[in-house]
Amino acid sequence: MGLLDGRVACITGGTRGIGLAIAKQFLDEGASVVVNGRDESKAERTLAELGAGDRVAYIAGDVKQREVCEAIVDGTVDRFGRIDILVANAGGSSGNAPVADLTDEAMQDALVWNFWHTFWTMRRAFHYMIPQQWGRVMSISSVEGKVGKPGLSIYVVSKHAINGLTKSAAHEVGTLGITVNALCPGAIETDTMIEQGPPAAESMGITYEGLLDMFAQESAIKRLCDVEDVAAVATLLASDAGGGITGSLISIDGGTAPY
Amino acid sequence: MGKLDGKVACITGGTRSIGRGMADAFLAEGAKVVVNGRDEAKGQQCLAEMNAGDNAAFFAGDSSKQDAVEGLIDFTIERYGQLDICCLNSGGVLMTAPVAQMTDEEWQLEVDWNLNHVFWGMRRALQHMIPRESGRVIVTSSVEGKLGKPGIPGYAATKHAVNGLVKAAAHEVGTLGITVNAILPGIIETDIVRATGPDSAVAMGLGTYEALIEAFSSESALKRPNTVEEVAAVAVLLASDAAKNMTGCMFPVDGGTMPY
Repeated sequence: MGLLDGRVACITGGTRGIGLAIAKQFLDEGASVVVNGRDESKAERTLAELGAGDRVAYIAGDVKQREVCEAIVDGTVDRFGRIDILVANAGGSSGNAPVADLTDEAMQDALVWNFWHTFWTMRRAFHYMIPQQWGRVMSISSVEGKVGKPGLSIYVVSKHAINGLTKSAAHEVGTLGITVNALCPGAIETDTMIEQGPPAAESMGITYEGLLDMFAQESAIKRLCDVEDVAAVATLLASDAGGGITGSLISIDGGTAPY
Repeated sequence: MGKLDGKVACITGGTRSIGRGMADAFLAEGAKVVVNGRDEAKGQQCLAEMNAGDNAAFFAGDSSKQDAVEGLIDFTIERYGQLDICCLNSGGVLMTAPVAQMTDEEWQLEVDWNLNHVFWGMRRALQHMIPRESGRVIVTSSVEGKLGKPGIPGYAATKHAVNGLVKAAAHEVGTLGITVNAILPGIIETDIVRATGPDSAVAMGLGTYEALIEAFSSESALKRPNTVEEVAAVAVLLASDAAKNMTGCMFPVDGGTMPY
């Protein structure tokens, strides 16, 4: 018997990295899962990798668009009849630069990608969760939602915003059987990191290896984290036993964040 | 297959309430567990209820005393050959009062019970864990480790202190396969809260026990106390291999009470 038997989950950016690891654990624990990704052509590969038959579905779409975010949530309900767990996991940043040189477009893009996407999916999910008086909303924030690195302000700002949204929303729906939490991982060398890390490092005036080392050295464990670390916490929060935890910004960062 | 198969745990204040919840959850996940408590009779009753045979043992001792805390660590290693998970869970207040009326005796008790007990246990456990390059230290802190309510100054001060100890120790042993974390529960109606709550309510100017529970609950988003099982589930996660990269963490189980 799984911790999530009968539950229905929706994960944005679920075709790789942290989102894929969460999808695997949720499926292992008995949930039905919708994974989202930008690229329709990745659907077949992702579904094959997850190997869960009718319990998993793929919804293509770019979370930088409101109608797509809402369609992902609605599509989950269409496919499985309900939505119990939302994981707003997609996100990233491009065009990182020191504030003095930052473009409006880079700031806007990061806010839409990380913050607006979280807001759009959360709001839509609440419309289903509030009437059913049960729900779990979690966003994949970051250690950068608690601290701030030079050159990464667009990422830092949008992750801090997610953390604020998490706290407010948690209090709004706290008596309705719904929890809202943010997971704050440290650096993980995911595909996204491999893509976005080098230009981000350049904006900070260091190499990609230097960037990874900087994150590792800030931690107590002096190494990067793994996607499975985040998935384990997500599974706890999604389970019945996680019902007493809400409005929390949970660090999964090897001891990096100061609070 | 359990998440803690082959692991050995000890838990201060483990015969009832949060500690007992941890013990039950650890046993269910395949660990061997030594529970500690002051009262031999309650310890034997606890063992009978847990019905875990050779997988559970009781060590009598007052966790506000150094020899008892160190004795528990040593006993666990002697009994089961190793210590993988050290839960420093005991603590509380006896005759709390506002600072202006606080006695030296109560203050010292709270420092010994809530802070020194954690230091003594952690130090002894780490001396065993460091050579093995493996271990989990889990401290039961409190929302009062980040907040501060009037009338419980010793509790707030000592819980803040253990959070600092956890963060510092986590960095000391972070590369040695050992994690050190704190769990910060909100109010839970445990036996000790039921026993000391009425007096605490008076010291805090709240009048009744019911008003005390309501005062804590109303600060949360859930508007209810937390439960032992909710804390135990987090303890299992932190004790498991899956949490190898979580350390120095102040893990909240407080229904959304703390602001950070």
